[in-house]
Amino acid sequence: MTQILTLEKRTALTGIGFVTPTVLIIALILIYPIIQSIVLSFGQSSIDGFEPYRFVGLDHYSKLMGDSRFWNALGVTFTFTALSIPLELMFGIGLALLMNETFKFKGWARLAVLFPWALPTALNTLIWRWMYNSDYGLFNAVALQSGLVERPINFLGDDVLAMVAMVVVAVWKTSSFMALIILAGLQSIPRDLFEAGRIDGMNRWTEFTQITLPLLKGPILVALIIRSMDALRTFELPFNLTDGGPAAATESLSLYAYKVIFDFLDFNFGAAIVVVQFLVIFTMSLVYVFALRNKD
Amino acid sequence: MANVTLNQIGKSYGKDTAVENFNLEIEDGEFLVLLGPSGCGKSTTLRMIAGLESITTGELSIGGIRMNETDPKDRGVAMVFQNYALYPHKSVFDNMAMALKLQKIPKAEIEKRVNDVSDLLGLNDYLERKPAALSGGQRQRVAIGRAIVRTPEVFLFDEPLSNLDAKLRVKMRMELQELHKRIGVTSIYVTHDQVEAMTLADRIVILDGGKVAQIGSPRDVYDYPATEFVAGFIGSPAMNFLPAVQSESGWRITGSDLLLPHPEGLATKSETVTLGIRPEHIEVITVVADPDAWVIEATVKLDELLGADALLNLSVQGFDLLARVSGTDFPEAGSKVHIRMDPARIHGFDPATGLALSREPISER
Amino acid sequence: MKSSPRFGLYFLVLLTVVISFFPIIWLILTSFKNTAGIYAWPIQYWPDPFTFENYISIFNNSPELLRYILNSFIVGVGCTAITLMCGGIAAYALSRLRLRFAGVMMVGILAVSMFPPVSLLPSLFQNFLNFGLLNTYTGLILAHAGLFLPFSVWMLASYFATLPVEIEEAAKMDGMGFVRIFLTIILPLSWPGFVATGLIVFIFSWNEFPLALVLMTQNAMRTAPVGISLYPGEYAFPWETISTATVLAIIPVLIITAIFQKQIVGGLTAGAGK
Repeated sequence: MTQILTLEKRTALTGIGFVTPTVLIIALILIYPIIQSIVLSFGQSSIDGFEPYRFVGLDHYSKLMGDSRFWNALGVTFTFTALSIPLELMFGIGLALLMNETFKFKGWARLAVLFPWALPTALNTLIWRWMYNSDYGLFNAVALQSGLVERPINFLGDDVLAMVAMVVVAVWKTSSFMALIILAGLQSIPRDLFEAGRIDGMNRWTEFTQITLPLLKGPILVALIIRSMDALRTFELPFNLTDGGPAAATESLSLYAYKVIFDFLDFNFGAAIVVVQFLVIFTMSLVYVFALRNKD
Repeated sequence: MANVTLNQIGKSYGKDTAVENFNLEIEDGEFLVLLGPSGCGKSTTLRMIAGLESITTGELSIGGIRMNETDPKDRGVAMVFQNYALYPHKSVFDNMAMALKLQKIPKAEIEKRVNDVSDLLGLNDYLERKPAALSGGQRQRVAIGRAIVRTPEVFLFDEPLSNLDAKLRVKMRMELQELHKRIGVTSIYVTHDQVEAMTLADRIVILDGGKVAQIGSPRDVYDYPATEFVAGFIGSPAMNFLPAVQSESGWRITGSDLLLPHPEGLATKSETVTLGIRPEHIEVITVVADPDAWVIEATVKLDELLGADALLNLSVQGFDLLARVSGTDFPEAGSKVHIRMDPARIHGFDPATGLALSREPISER
Repeated sequence: MKSSPRFGLYFLVLLTVVISFFPIIWLILTSFKNTAGIYAWPIQYWPDPFTFENYISIFNNSPELLRYILNSFIVGVGCTAITLMCGGIAAYALSRLRLRFAGVMMVGILAVSMFPPVSLLPSLFQNFLNFGLLNTYTGLILAHAGLFLPFSVWMLASYFATLPVEIEEAAKMDGMGFVRIFLTIILPLSWPGFVATGLIVFIFSWNEFPLALVLMTQNAMRTAPVGISLYPGEYAFPWETISTATVLAIIPVLIITAIFQKQIVGGLTAGAGK
């Protein structure tokens, strides 16, 4: 019996068919909007379509270059990322090492590590906002009552402290996620290596630096990539914690873009900001992918 | 039951050639073994026959009908996989019945056929169990049963016994032989184990690097290997190889003074030759009755008792030989002995091409 | 093992647990205080009086809360369903069918997953507005599906890769078509992967903020995190309402996490094998 379509051809057709729904959705929701944002950023139009689209070239971009608020947002975003990532990494590794040991209440420990990740960032941020409250917050209460300070600290009202506060919330929430990824890497290190190391005379510190850390390079890199992408896009954290304040000290790029688009209703200028943000992240992801390539 | 014809079959992945110019006519009812080391192309060839790999060049026909483009399920073949490939979430009965169910065969007939096969293979007690609850040997029988139930024209076996332990392997080998005698369906069997090949095959095809090295019955392949590769692959322990150089009165073994006369019927124009002799064709003689050119002095370096036999690692003038002797009363390490090589059993190979200097006509190439 | 390292270990574990749980505990305690208790100075660590009044009055104060939670559920379930179905067959095709474009597509999917959601906002908002998808379940479900399909495809592909190829080959030889192979073999054998992926996607969708904020402008359609975040008015922060609503809003996610923690951790760590 001969077939009109060979197994090979049918495989290819099935493959295309199976992949199509996903490709369609991704094209619709992810790819097309980016392209459209780029187009928007090169022009001027109104949201209700009363004025037709006018091509204005790089007008918005040059405006962007001279916009101090933009540069502030960029700086805020980078500062936030640069501060939170190393801390998250450190705590993540520490947590992972901890979780790798066997002990009785492992279930609770695992839950403790998972809960922060599972919380909606937006709501989590509200909780912290309440704890940071300068009049009634938990932190000030503890600080005052233990005699650490004499007057309540205005965490969210001071530009430096607000950034610190934001970083703390981020680190609290995502160290656990880092820990999980690194834990996976930890668990793939064969036990024999540690035993050989012990025979060779390693103590816990040398064990860590000579065996664990080098073999964790891969997972650490993966965790770094994911987290820094997220940090550069941070939105709901400043939105709910400080609304970008005080005086835009915590206004991330995403937040600024959002305000331009939905508060000022300037879609085109907002699109320019958004495209710049996209380019920054895209470049960073390329850098990372490159670094990953060379690792293997 | 049908014959299988492979006409200049080849398989390439881009620039890499996995199988090249495979020509074979498999008789109806024959048990054919594809033998070779890993990567030689035997599994690829089997999968091309099955339809799991596409055929790059050449034509495949089963029962006289061209099958290159046909779906696996329509080729009339059934396959037994190395890892059994049983559906883990289905019972033994369902595993065996699956193909028939898909062919929309009526339930009553499916039951009859599965039960018949189950009787044949002794699986009646396990029909409702899932594969996880079975031992390796039982799982293998289910895999075989699944193939038999489909009453195919050709059985394909992909190293089915590799995952079983040694004892079970021997047992299953004999069961497979019996099965073939009873059912008599054309079978194509892939393995890297030459013992399986020798015991099961009507004919063996030995593959080396994607090319056919020799096709022949087990006897032919053993007694008259066509290439140095085949000679070294078949037979355990492996054949002894001695490089030698031409001289007027015979062959001088490289690295030694030993001169051997040209064995009868073996001749070559080439300057150099590789001689071969199997360990079992080296005799330890106690009484040097009539010394001839084939009796040599040797020292036993190492002795290994296998049980019924013993292996002697001999040091002869300048080279080593492995001899297989009876396990009772053999010379131990350190002793000096006389050995005799049977000239009728000496093989010669051209060092450049690896081809055997033929003494008897080889059945097929 | 000496006893003192063990002690140090347990101390660290305890510290970790405390640090991880204290915000949630503080939240729960706050929700049980009355207004006076919340704004008391010096601060009340333990509610005095311990009252349920917030919980009782929450549905009078903000009747939409239940609606918010319902919306989150509908969007979450819808998004998970689509993501698993579309992502499942796509992952199968890309990892099992030996397609020539598989490698490129996987990398491409990984690449688009890095797009910042805010970048999508102007365009998505406009398009949804023009096509009437704003403030619809369909719209947000679709948007979330777009966000989480890349993750889903990668996760499921890595689960499928662990299944032995031979079973599918045996099925092909038995005569099964691809759809049948997917439904009767792949699905049953990899359902833990589907469960883990589904749970994680559900949590992602529940927690998602920027798109949910922008694509649902009507109060009645908002998801829980967005709705609660918009409680605060110009000057006032009704912490009683916020804390109570937050507790209610995070209960589903916390319950899921608590019950399925093994699967979720398994899924996340498996995904690390990218």
